[in-house]
Amino acid sequence: MTLQILLALSAILFAFGLAAILSRSNAIMILIGIELMLGAANLNFIAFWRFSGNPSDLTGVLFAIFSIAVAAAEAAVGLAIIILVHRRIQSVEVDDASNLKG
Amino acid sequence: MNTNYLFLTIFLAVAIIFPLIPLAIAWAWARLFSPPKPGHEKLASYECGIDSTGPAQVQFQSHYYLYALVFLVFDVETIFLMPFAAAFLKLEFSAFLTLMVFLLLLVEGLVWAWAKGILAWK
Amino acid sequence: MTPSFPIEFCVLFLGVVLLLADAFFPDMDKRKLAHIALVWLGGFLVATFFLRPALLWASPAGFYLADPLGIFFKQFALVATMLTLVLAIEYAPVVERAIPGSKPGAGLGEFFILPVFTCAGLMWMASAADFIMIFCALELVTISFYIQVAYLRKCPASLEAGTKFLILGALSTGFLVYGITWIYGLSGQTGLSAIAGAFAGIPAIPQSSQTALLFGLGLVLVALGFKVAAAPFQFWVPDVYHGAPTPVTAFLSVGSKAAGFVVLMRVLGPFLTVPEIETRVITVLQVLAGITLIYGNLAAMPQTNLKRLLGYSSIAHAGYLLMGVASVGSPLAGRAIVFYLVGYLLMTFLAFLILIPVAKAAGGDDIAHFNGLGRRSPGLALAMLLAMLSLAGLPFTVGFLGKFFIFEAAMQEQQYFLVAIGVVTVACGFYYYLKVVRAMYWQPVPVDAAPVEFSPLGRFAAAFLAALILIVGIFPKPILDILP
Repeated sequence: MTLQILLALSAILFAFGLAAILSRSNAIMILIGIELMLGAANLNFIAFWRFSGNPSDLTGVLFAIFSIAVAAAEAAVGLAIIILVHRRIQSVEVDDASNLKG
Repeated sequence: MNTNYLFLTIFLAVAIIFPLIPLAIAWAWARLFSPPKPGHEKLASYECGIDSTGPAQVQFQSHYYLYALVFLVFDVETIFLMPFAAAFLKLEFSAFLTLMVFLLLLVEGLVWAWAKGILAWK
Repeated sequence: MTPSFPIEFCVLFLGVVLLLADAFFPDMDKRKLAHIALVWLGGFLVATFFLRPALLWASPAGFYLADPLGIFFKQFALVATMLTLVLAIEYAPVVERAIPGSKPGAGLGEFFILPVFTCAGLMWMASAADFIMIFCALELVTISFYIQVAYLRKCPASLEAGTKFLILGALSTGFLVYGITWIYGLSGQTGLSAIAGAFAGIPAIPQSSQTALLFGLGLVLVALGFKVAAAPFQFWVPDVYHGAPTPVTAFLSVGSKAAGFVVLMRVLGPFLTVPEIETRVITVLQVLAGITLIYGNLAAMPQTNLKRLLGYSSIAHAGYLLMGVASVGSPLAGRAIVFYLVGYLLMTFLAFLILIPVAKAAGGDDIAHFNGLGRRSPGLALAMLLAMLSLAGLPFTVGFLGKFFIFEAAMQEQQYFLVAIGVVTVACGFYYYLKVVRAMYWQPVPVDAAPVEFSPLGRFAAAFLAALILIVGIFPKPILDILP
């Protein structure tokens, strides 16, 4: 297991997440894509920390922990907003909520 | 030593064969005496003999999600407690106070949700 | 020794106490919460003037940096939050109508309390000196803004704005964290001064590491571009500004942008010390500034809705500010950006403050709803005139001096092409800001025009802002002296 393999894996995860956000119109799928991107970043942090010359410096782990917690808060607020939208227009498709233009 | 393993091997073989025999008999019985004749009623999902109506995907009350969301936040925030517990004996008193402030904020969230009536099932 | 973060924790606890008060006294008039918050935030604002930079200076971990710039932006955040609360009090009837509850004013409490939490986030951001701190403070601001934008939960426009803001905000968060991982991977540090130290220790950064570093920094720039509404990451701005409740729009356009620029200046610091990277970063910033200026000003011209117009104008102002960031080599640039942000706060809040009562009386926030305001309520029209002239950049207003200082810094860095774009787009700006002036003074009063009601608190705030626009526009020295 080398750093390169982990970085490639996280890059693939990040690309999947980005592709999900750009191509899907279902808001839940978009949120899942965002979680994938954040997961990729966390993987990067842990990989860089593990292969850095100084694993007793826990900065990378620290950042990953904060990132997980923030992602949870973001997902909670995001889901709440999507539920509100669903109650209002009976759909979670982003394309159905596009009345503001100009 | 060897006999012990021999005994185990025989036991394993018997354990596999024993359930296979009735399964084989049941399969042979079904092939010989009751060939499949699918029809509308046979393929319908069983619902007390009445034709089922409506979509199969049941929609949950969105009240249900509120609990899930509140739970999610509290669940994930415990990630900060784990390193704290692991390093507890080495920490200064100020670190303990800092974490108590953090817990106080979390508890405040719960108290707020409670007082707002979010936890009351409607 | 442990770091101490006094002021931000005070703001945070104010928010917590107000939340509990809101939950346990459901029958109280929620406007009282806003008044209490206003008084306390005012107290904190006074307290910040007694903070000595040295007293708070750096913690051992290097997370928190209370330099003059940081303290100034704490004051900036407090003022912006107080003005937002004044706007929110004006806007309260709309919220009450949009959120029908069992009691009048149900759901109004959080509308006043959420800005307080955002304020704490903005203040932390002003002092953040570590990527962990920057990330957490930025997310505190962004997540509280998600809720505020989608606050009118029976109103489809607000929900749509909330969804768009959520998706693009979360996307930019993903970019930010992923970019930070690369910077962390190459320098082994997350503290900004530690990163600068790591670069200083290496005589020449190898080519492959340079590419990876630029990749990481590029992703961080994309994320910050979303936050400050720079083109080509601006596409959420008009819809979100249009759909969000008006006080939130004002807060978003001022608070979020100011915090984004402070973080941008702090983050770029370590990278501008590396000559190989500096030139490329400056080029990217110049291109961004040019595109943002042209896009924001041109797209604003055909707008008929004032909130959308101000949204595009916010993009245009981000362009001028980016021009300042691109000239960061000049000693004038830092002051110019700070001065511009102060001016932007004054004129944007004044415009939104006038918009709320006019929209309430006319039933909409189009430019056409301002028709004949000069005869209906001359005082309001005069204040709006001042805000528009200042946004356009007429002399003797704060908007003119802001642009002047930015152009001066850019000239010093020999960015003649950018300055040329800037001057041409200022001319475009005159066209669309004066559309509002034309509606107010040269259009007939509609026959069914309702009288415009404006509370004493709102009147006081509007007069205060209008006076400051003129005073700072003529005597800029006190603001310029704040930064060394």
